[in-house]
Amino acid sequence: MKVRFKSNSFVIALSAVVLGLIAGGIFMAMIGSDPFEGFLYLFKGGLMNIERIGNTIATATTLILVGLSVSFAFKTGLFNIGASGQMLIGGLCATLVAHFVNIPRPLYLVVLIAAALVGGAIWGIIPGLLKAKFNVHEVVATIMMNWIAYWSIFYFVPAFLKGPFLETESKSILLEKSLRAAWLNKLFGGSQYINLGIFVAIVAIILIKFILDKTTLGFELKAVGSNRYCAEYAGIRVNRNVIISMMIAGGLAGLAGMVFYTGYASNMQIGVMPSMGFDGIAVALLGASNPIGVFFSGFFFGLLQSGKGFMNAMTDVPPEIADTIIATIIYFTATSVLFKRFWDWVARLLSVKFDKKGGN
Amino acid sequence: MKKLLLLTMMVFLIGALFVSCGGKKEAAQTAAPAATTTQAAPAAAPAAKPAAKLKVGMVTDAGTIDDKSFNQGTWEGILKAQNEGLVEAKYLKPSGTTEADYLKEIGNLYDAGYKFIILPGYKFETALYIAQDKYKDAKFVILDGEPHTADYVTYRTEPNVVCVIWNEHESGFLAGVAAALHIKEGEVGFIGGMEVPAVQKFNWGWQQGIKYANENLGTKIVQKQENNLYQGSFDNVAAGQQIAASMYDKGVKVIFAAAGGVGVGAINETKSRVTAGKEVWMVGVDVDQYPEGLLPNGKSVMLTSAMKYLDRASYDMIKAELAGTFPGGQTLHFSAANNGLGIPPVNPNLSAEVQAKVSEVSQLMLKGEIKVAGELLPGFFK
Repeated sequence: MKVRFKSNSFVIALSAVVLGLIAGGIFMAMIGSDPFEGFLYLFKGGLMNIERIGNTIATATTLILVGLSVSFAFKTGLFNIGASGQMLIGGLCATLVAHFVNIPRPLYLVVLIAAALVGGAIWGIIPGLLKAKFNVHEVVATIMMNWIAYWSIFYFVPAFLKGPFLETESKSILLEKSLRAAWLNKLFGGSQYINLGIFVAIVAIILIKFILDKTTLGFELKAVGSNRYCAEYAGIRVNRNVIISMMIAGGLAGLAGMVFYTGYASNMQIGVMPSMGFDGIAVALLGASNPIGVFFSGFFFGLLQSGKGFMNAMTDVPPEIADTIIATIIYFTATSVLFKRFWDWVARLLSVKFDKKGGN
Repeated sequence: MKKLLLLTMMVFLIGALFVSCGGKKEAAQTAAPAATTTQAAPAAAPAAKPAAKLKVGMVTDAGTIDDKSFNQGTWEGILKAQNEGLVEAKYLKPSGTTEADYLKEIGNLYDAGYKFIILPGYKFETALYIAQDKYKDAKFVILDGEPHTADYVTYRTEPNVVCVIWNEHESGFLAGVAAALHIKEGEVGFIGGMEVPAVQKFNWGWQQGIKYANENLGTKIVQKQENNLYQGSFDNVAAGQQIAASMYDKGVKVIFAAAGGVGVGAINETKSRVTAGKEVWMVGVDVDQYPEGLLPNGKSVMLTSAMKYLDRASYDMIKAELAGTFPGGQTLHFSAANNGLGIPPVNPNLSAEVQAKVSEVSQLMLKGEIKVAGELLPGFFK
């Protein structure tokens, strides 16, 4: 009998997480703290009660959407570092809608989502065009777009959305215009930031999964990602796919911006580049660029982000340890080829053994 | 069997590899949080502490705990109380600067038993508005702000909250008088960070101080609009350096920077000019920034600093709480009158004569004979 054990991305991601946590534990032990206590409070901080679970979900929502954006671009062989800028523009469009559009809530939510999608998509399509037409590398273009967004917000917000006193942030949006919902807050024991964004994220995941697996577009995108010359030879229009891929990736990051600026927060601060745009790269890596994987890895990173403060409050473990764990996990994910070889080797050993037994 | 042995050996080898990797990584990683751990060290020092000590928590504003400004000043006051064995202290650094991030850390402190929480900065205003109701049995001190709703319509300070506000303009005024008296004639400049009330008040007070010295103390200082500007951020060191350079090129002799990291850039420029033999000066802000301006020869380019006694605020509030006289529900104004601000007690770069004059002015302010306006008066720069 043959044991069909093959390493898959789930096993690899799990190995990376476990090793990352072990490394984190070693760091904690080295600075003289009890690692088990540290981890206990880290996870308690994220999951201790229903309110904290709600906060963790709220933190994770943005990460999931950004992770989805980055992983979608990955699928077409593009590296979208511009999620931060796309978040800013998507968030700005959503904030504008929240301030100036007064229509019944269901319709309002549709407009809000559409605005964020379009805003992010525009910011994504420009690097896509530059890549397709002039072969400008998307890494360079997206980083530039990040800073263009950053400085545009810097001048736009004080000029048009200025709060009554502070120059440094936009006027807060009204509670009934935000993505927060009273029933959701109640459901999660008074969690302040849980918002409808999580449903947006889930729908986005399902849609992206569908596009990638069940449509011609998804097939083409993936074909371009695995070998663009081969895809070109097969008659796929590579440039068109590059543009579409960046557009969708940008739109997803725009949604993340909406969730962050009109759900998690209630205004936009100038001079702040949202770090989630970069954390999303880690989420995508750990999730192996698979929409379902991104959901779980986003939740996991959200848990670490949201639990580290409580760990710091209860122990002497500095919060940087949580960041170190995240960094270590990324490190291990990046070397996933090693895990793949290791587990394949283990599988081979086991199967050989079982084969022998079967032979007897 | 042999393979199994190989397998276990493999696992151990890989394990060892990770441990050694971990070690190397650790060395690099601890370098960064070293500052925090050293500050946390005194926390562990008094081992024999009685069971029920007041647990004081603090959430840092944007920036680190060793920002030589708001966070550090506040934390030093708390540390002082801790070193006296009065309290047990802990600070948390939020991962962002949104209301949600702040509330999360307040909740973390609360759940960990820290029910006396000090919040340095106006950015906590809206978070505190929610927290004061949510954590009714906790006590809060907010420095430089008052709890209000996000739309600034409703201001409400519950009995478990104390607000501390400084009259920054008085501090800026004193620094202005000191600087004017020191250089006697020439031009002065001001660099602000963002155009927020606390920074603006420093600026307005500074201009009034210069004007006062011109009118009453016989100095001939020129203030120009072009030498009075806000950079727009608190962290752009390079821009601070550039602005300072262009001001010095135009003949400015003293720059007052209320600008965080932008001020650091200005200090750097001043240092290089002084090293090159020019006679230019800086005036610091919030805390005594004399050490920031030190040159290799042991002298500092810091003439003086327009201070807000942040440490005094946090320390006094802790003391009040321990004595059972926590002034809950009130807004306290720290001013020259109650010795809540001023220039540092020791200014090695100012002559005794100048210092005497400044304390004379400060006395007049205390008596109310000099009034400094905390708003933009006609004839002054924005």
